[in-house]
Amino acid sequence: MSDAIDERRSRGPVQRKGLGPRPVGWLDPRGRTLGHLAFVANRITGLGLVFYLYLHLAVLSLLLPGGEAWNDFLELATTTVFLLLDVLLLFGLLYHGLNGLRVTLVGTGYVPNRQKALWWAGAVIGTLVLALAAIRILGES
Amino acid sequence: MALVVLITVHMVAHHFVVQGTGGLRSYRQVLEYVANPAIFTIELLFLVAVTVHAMLGLRGVLFDLATGERAREWISRALVVLGVVTVAYGVALIVALASRA
Amino acid sequence: MSMTIDARTDTDAAGTAAPPAGTRRFRVFRYKRGDERPHYETFEVPVGYRTTVFEALRWIQVHRDRTLALRHSCLHASCGTCGVRVNGKEALACVTMVHDVGREITVEPIANVPVLTDLVVDMREVFERFPDDHPIVRGSEFLDDADTPEGIASYERYEDCIECGLCVSACPVVVTAERYVGPAALAWGERVLEEPRGAEVANLLSWANAPDGVWRCHAIFECTAACPSGVNPAARIMSLRGTLLGRRLRKQPRGSDPT
Repeated sequence: MSDAIDERRSRGPVQRKGLGPRPVGWLDPRGRTLGHLAFVANRITGLGLVFYLYLHLAVLSLLLPGGEAWNDFLELATTTVFLLLDVLLLFGLLYHGLNGLRVTLVGTGYVPNRQKALWWAGAVIGTLVLALAAIRILGES
Repeated sequence: MALVVLITVHMVAHHFVVQGTGGLRSYRQVLEYVANPAIFTIELLFLVAVTVHAMLGLRGVLFDLATGERAREWISRALVVLGVVTVAYGVALIVALASRA
Repeated sequence: MSMTIDARTDTDAAGTAAPPAGTRRFRVFRYKRGDERPHYETFEVPVGYRTTVFEALRWIQVHRDRTLALRHSCLHASCGTCGVRVNGKEALACVTMVHDVGREITVEPIANVPVLTDLVVDMREVFERFPDDHPIVRGSEFLDDADTPEGIASYERYEDCIECGLCVSACPVVVTAERYVGPAALAWGERVLEEPRGAEVANLLSWANAPDGVWRCHAIFECTAACPSGVNPAARIMSLRGTLLGRRLRKQPRGSDPT
């Protein structure tokens, strides 16, 4: 198989779908079905959440020097812009979590033919939860 | 699945329970919160679950790009190290905070 | 041989003469060995009510450019030879109606496979992904106990997969992970497990269990959407994953007899 891969480039140009270099070819959603869009969003939210994990640990480290640094952070954390970012974070969490449940059910062979219906069900639940949470979060500011 | 439960508990307990301060805890409230043995345990489990999931996710993305076995071995090793360091830091942080309450 | 698309003789479903559909602009991928890079050429093609993309391409070949290379065989979606991308979507040219596509039609070879010339690709790229010990062509089944109408001696059942490669073209993972075995081969592996017909399948699960096997699939389902033959490769890959997970949880050794 690896020989075939190494040899393929000499056989002729390989057309592929997607913009940009090969490693991000999966990112282009044009002409794709729901399953692909779900995957792209899952991957983007996942990478975003990895970044947030380390950001969160860094922010929590503000507790170590004492109360003053944390309280300064709290002032920033209750501004409207920050709360909007919190809502965005919640969207990422909800999307990745609910789609993750869908991928778990589908990817282990339980309900592969219900993958679209599961996505829509997750979308409805996620939208409701996000809306209620956003009202609560932004209402506090 | 465990991650979904843990994150729900984490989000609700941290951001939707506390009154005042925009739903966030003050310095004192955070220390008292993590000193609770049940919360301490849940947060530790959450940290481990999130880190494992994050490392596995990164591994999935990077394995798509790296086609050689050696490259994949290095990726796996690097992610194990990163995961261990992340959990270790998180544990040290939560222990330090809990001990100050 | 003269070939014309006679729009005046086209009739609709009710049997009445349908008005001619006019012309369509075809933008066709062109590449010949020695070209520095591929390019596109545009043709205005007269089309009728039921003209297929394949018929339009043949008209171009006959009336405009004899050097246009394309493959076809059965002309009724059972051989998989004429797979192309029409406006970016995988399709069999012989059964894709121009009427259903639009006024501007871009025809390209299938993706993720080396292009030999114009719309002709090197299908070895698809076939070499299949497991070595289980070639896609195997003895078909005679259904001796099936009820047959008078004059029919017996039924012979063929596989759904027509090896067109459209699923490999549609798969976004094949774009980034070049060594990924791909939906066609994995779906075939699951089919052999489902119905071994006496084949030795002990090593099939290890083959599927590789990092570039089922675990490279991200449950995107583009392959199932592209398949013209109802194979549903994505569901078959998920089924394989379920089988492998179940064996791992029951701590069965890899590569042991799955039956």
